[in-house]
Amino acid sequence: MDSLRELFWAGQEVYITQVFMPIIIGVGIFFPAIIGLFVLGFYRRYRLWKVGQGDNRSGEWLTRLLTTLAVAVANVRIVRLKELYPGLMHSLIFGGTALLFLGKIIRLFSFGGLTVPPQSIYLYASLISEIGGVLIIIGGGMAVYRRYIRRPPRLDTVPEDNLVFVWASLLVLTGFMIKGYRIAVSDITPPDWTMWSPVGYLISNVFPTFMTEAKDEILVWHRVLIHTIPAFVFLGYIWLNRSRLQHILISPLNVFFRSLKPKGALAPIDLEKAESFGVSQIEGFTWKQLLDLDACTRCGRCQDACPAYFSGKKLNPKKVIQDLKAHLQAVYPYPLVKKPVESRPDMLTEVITEEVLWDCTTCRACQQACPVYIEHVDKMIDMRRNLAMEKSQFPESAQEALKSLGTREHPWRGTTAGRTDWAKGLGVKVLAEDKNIDILYWVGCTAALEDRNMKVSAATARILQAAGINFGILGTEEACCGDPARRLGDEYLFQTLCQKNIEILKSYNVTKIVTTCPHCFNSLKNEYPQFGGNFEVIHHTRFINDLIASGKIKLGGLASNKTVAYHDSCYLGRYNDIYQPPRDILQAIGGIKKVELSRCMSTSFCCGGGGGHMWMEEEPAKRVNTKRTQDVIDAKADLVATACPYCLSMFEDGLKTKEVAESVKAIDLSELVLQAMALDTKKA
Amino acid sequence: MDILLRVIAIFIEVSLLALIFYCLLNGARLTIFDLGLGVKYRKMVTTALVVDGGIILVFLISHLTLLYPAIGAG
Repeated sequence: MDSLRELFWAGQEVYITQVFMPIIIGVGIFFPAIIGLFVLGFYRRYRLWKVGQGDNRSGEWLTRLLTTLAVAVANVRIVRLKELYPGLMHSLIFGGTALLFLGKIIRLFSFGGLTVPPQSIYLYASLISEIGGVLIIIGGGMAVYRRYIRRPPRLDTVPEDNLVFVWASLLVLTGFMIKGYRIAVSDITPPDWTMWSPVGYLISNVFPTFMTEAKDEILVWHRVLIHTIPAFVFLGYIWLNRSRLQHILISPLNVFFRSLKPKGALAPIDLEKAESFGVSQIEGFTWKQLLDLDACTRCGRCQDACPAYFSGKKLNPKKVIQDLKAHLQAVYPYPLVKKPVESRPDMLTEVITEEVLWDCTTCRACQQACPVYIEHVDKMIDMRRNLAMEKSQFPESAQEALKSLGTREHPWRGTTAGRTDWAKGLGVKVLAEDKNIDILYWVGCTAALEDRNMKVSAATARILQAAGINFGILGTEEACCGDPARRLGDEYLFQTLCQKNIEILKSYNVTKIVTTCPHCFNSLKNEYPQFGGNFEVIHHTRFINDLIASGKIKLGGLASNKTVAYHDSCYLGRYNDIYQPPRDILQAIGGIKKVELSRCMSTSFCCGGGGGHMWMEEEPAKRVNTKRTQDVIDAKADLVATACPYCLSMFEDGLKTKEVAESVKAIDLSELVLQAMALDTKKA
Repeated sequence: MDILLRVIAIFIEVSLLALIFYCLLNGARLTIFDLGLGVKYRKMVTTALVVDGGIILVFLISHLTLLYPAIGAG
């Protein structure tokens, strides 16, 4: 095998003595320069992240590392069934580049006895370099076709994109040309070039007439310089200029430092120590939130997933991130110092605008879609907090809901119903009268006070009774869980309600809670522990599914043979990963035909009620619920099954708006289960 | 035929070099502005780089036309 290396380089004396050694020397000189530019470029970013607030993202290093490798190397967040084309495209470019670099590095050290690896590795290095180059050409071709011919609206093309495409293409093309020339100038054909360098060999045949003259040293130098110098400058460029290609490093870094806390838990404010509330200036964000801005690759997946953007509202999550990034760079324009400019635009009114901030339904579709784990929702809430707590600036309708929360402990302004009206005649225990219970049924404001949803709470109670569960409710002692207040930015009101509820729950020694509302479920499960409220919280779909599985309730079939589509609630699905129990319940019900909506599971489309929007007035043409209702109509469903009181109300409204309320009905899963149990639903 | 091939070869060579210099000069331009050079210099810098690019292109064409090896010599 020792002779293989000699064979590999045989007949290329000009290339070796006049070109290759100088290149190695050149690498020796350029490499430190590239490292220097890399450090400089990284520091330009790092100093901006450092202007942010502290945020502990340490711990669970192995989990972080494995996820980062899965995302960065295996592209698991990009290659998805519905996104196969861009996913495949990215994987080809990434994989091709990795192979190309691997081959280059090995071959760089294959001459002159710098290293003594197994000699056959040189030939393999040649082959994998070529495979890498071909993969880049295929992936790059796909990228060009997508960006310049198909032009999906979510992609915006800036001048730098064109430059990067041309530059990278040239590097691959000239790389292959050099290989072709090298083969062409060889006097003999030592290895089997068709096997170890198929593309280079093919190119070498394009230049047969150059054979003699091509050995001219100057000409060989030309070939090498038009590849090598631009390649080095390219590497320097992408690090010194804040090129989008820096995502090669910054995006994995962002993935590594992603939040490992429960997805539905917003960061609490220490109200006693905080000097200001929320974020009004770019420095108010945490370092991780600023890192998010740099990690964004402008892929636009968040834009495509956003229900507000889809409905024609001002909010575009991609633009929010890009605007904040541009603002950060405008406030700190000097390359190497942390000195802000003296005057800056107001971030909340001039950079983002209040309308955009209030458009967000906090559905988390943007974060689910983001391949690099950018955390959009937290930023929106942080900015809302400043508007709400420091400036008292809310949409008028939201203000009414908050006022009601403050005075009546529920957001349903104007309701005349009491918290236990739905339970009349059902014999449900109220804890103030009978503390002897195993499970607390946390009803939630909407299920307790809104007419349509009162039927859901009654259905749930009747199922629990039929299963022999010893449960009770807090009744008038139950206050709002605080979710609407927290999502609208009023952290003070949230904490007041939260602490009051925890106190009451603890006073009754409650340990296990069942709730029908995913918003209450999320708050009680993920946010109450921040304030010492640690309870076992179960959503009613999971609880009912367990009752079915254990045989405690028996389901018959519905005679109607209707087509049923299940709508995944954002706070149940994306926030808490509960996708299967609702589907298992439908599976257990006979006499129905199940269909999936076009956007389902983790890519489900919001009903439009989250983030306080349940109580906010919206332009009829821009309502999210009508868009989602269209999905139900398109699926040709007779029933849309929900597991969330907000979703149920939004669908009721959407079906009326679409004028299909007679043919399509919205129903909670508990109501379906009750029907399937062949109980007298009229009582409910 | 050989002359035609030579012209094609020079054209390919000049095109490649022109694209490479476009990348180098445009990359330099974007980096200069990214490093904080004021917007008011944008036109001046761009013009200077375009002129540089033009000069380089003329040089490359003349250089290759004079020195490019004859086709079919081997």
